[in-house]
Amino acid sequence: MEEEKGGFEPKIIGFTCNWCTYAGADLAGTSRKKYPPNIRLIRLMCSGRIDPMFVLKALLNGADGVFLGGCHPGECHYIKGNFYARRRIAALRTILKQFGLDNRVRSEWCSASEGDKFARIMKEMAEEIKQLGPNPMRDKIL
Amino acid sequence: MKGTELKYDDLEGFLKGLIENKVIDALIMPHRVGNKVSYMLVREKNKIEPPASVIFAPSFGVNAANVIKGWMIDNKVGIVAKPCEIRAVIELIKLKQLNEESVLLITVDCSGAFKNEDYAEHYAEIGNLVDSAKIKELEGKGISIREACAICENRLADIGDIIIARVNGKVGVAGLTEMGVEALSAVGLLLEAKDLERKEEKERIVAEARKRLEELPKIDSVEALEEFLQDCILCKNCRDVCPVCYCKECFFDQPLGNPAGGDLLNLAELRGAIEVPANQLLYHLTRVYHVCTTCVACGACEDACPKSIPLTRFYPVLAQKVQEIFEYVPGRDVKEPLPFITYKEEELEERLR
Repeated sequence: MEEEKGGFEPKIIGFTCNWCTYAGADLAGTSRKKYPPNIRLIRLMCSGRIDPMFVLKALLNGADGVFLGGCHPGECHYIKGNFYARRRIAALRTILKQFGLDNRVRSEWCSASEGDKFARIMKEMAEEIKQLGPNPMRDKIL
Repeated sequence: MKGTELKYDDLEGFLKGLIENKVIDALIMPHRVGNKVSYMLVREKNKIEPPASVIFAPSFGVNAANVIKGWMIDNKVGIVAKPCEIRAVIELIKLKQLNEESVLLITVDCSGAFKNEDYAEHYAEIGNLVDSAKIKELEGKGISIREACAICENRLADIGDIIIARVNGKVGVAGLTEMGVEALSAVGLLLEAKDLERKEEKERIVAEARKRLEELPKIDSVEALEEFLQDCILCKNCRDVCPVCYCKECFFDQPLGNPAGGDLLNLAELRGAIEVPANQLLYHLTRVYHVCTTCVACGACEDACPKSIPLTRFYPVLAQKVQEIFEYVPGRDVKEPLPFITYKEEELEERLR
């Protein structure tokens, strides 16, 4: 595969909320901020809609990283969706930590005005996952 | 707490009194079938067997909470069971799978239990009642308690409405809630202030349990997890016997959780090849997330596994890690909200990235 020759390009799945992080990504785009193209964003209405099964499914099907984005705590469009999301993500990462998978899952709060921050997170995350190498699930028969 | 001291033989009158005085409409309690111990639902008080010989029997078959899961009834049912089972009932109340008012929870001291088939096989040696010394002695003979019991920190009755504690060759009966105290008074027991905390004994049990937990083989990588689950045939027994697994339709019975047919062909195309039956890892990882805050570590999942996968090393061990971050102990308090339906405005940020 060309990836193996030209270095590893991770596939990152992102689940972001409609009101903040997705809009932040939009701003990064319209302001022509550059960031690595490894992320594939999936827009949800709220970070509270993130079912941990989505994350598990992505990881088990070979995603090298999973990014979760929502409004800053206290600024949720639906008042408290991200508070619940935070608890769920913390629990899920605690489980994943046992198997050394937690560092492939990262969540950040990023508002609609933080296009810069979004671009920076994407750069950082792509770099981190490159260091980690491909998800061991990728080539497994399971 | 308020309570009294009874002789072992007085327990029969006490339980019969609960039905006779209409404190409860029915009673779920252990009973003996040959050498085995299982549960029965009693409505006629004369069917109650002498409790002293069964309620402390160190045998675990099903979790009693699983029996009454989802009974939305107006009647009141008493449940005489071990601490892990009563803790599961309390979680079910919080999960709105039971009315708090429709159960009278009677917790008995547990000294650790054997799988019910092991118990029946070695009944002559084990008997009706064991203590920690006896358990050690039996372990020397190769008859061991369940792994879930070996790592259990909550063997002493300290939750529910009424507790039945074994102290100095007698039993201490005490009410922990208003409902419990009323029930004890209704059967004519004279109550006095009673201390059944047993702090020192508890500390000893916790220390021993933590030591045993440390000794369990760890599943610490994806590879180890795959190996651990490789015999799984996805019968989903672990889900069906789990007292705190309560969804009407499990995610794994839906296409999103368990793709089949065309969906599976698409996945196989993406991956080149996939194992079938598919999704062992997704099933167990999602399930452990679903029960991570409410798992009472009863070990029913392990007992039910037809492939003898030691699931205690997976479900309770992982769940405990999650419960630690929320400082939540399932079944500790019926008023304490479940971790996933509450939040603090500032918390957990260090665990997100």
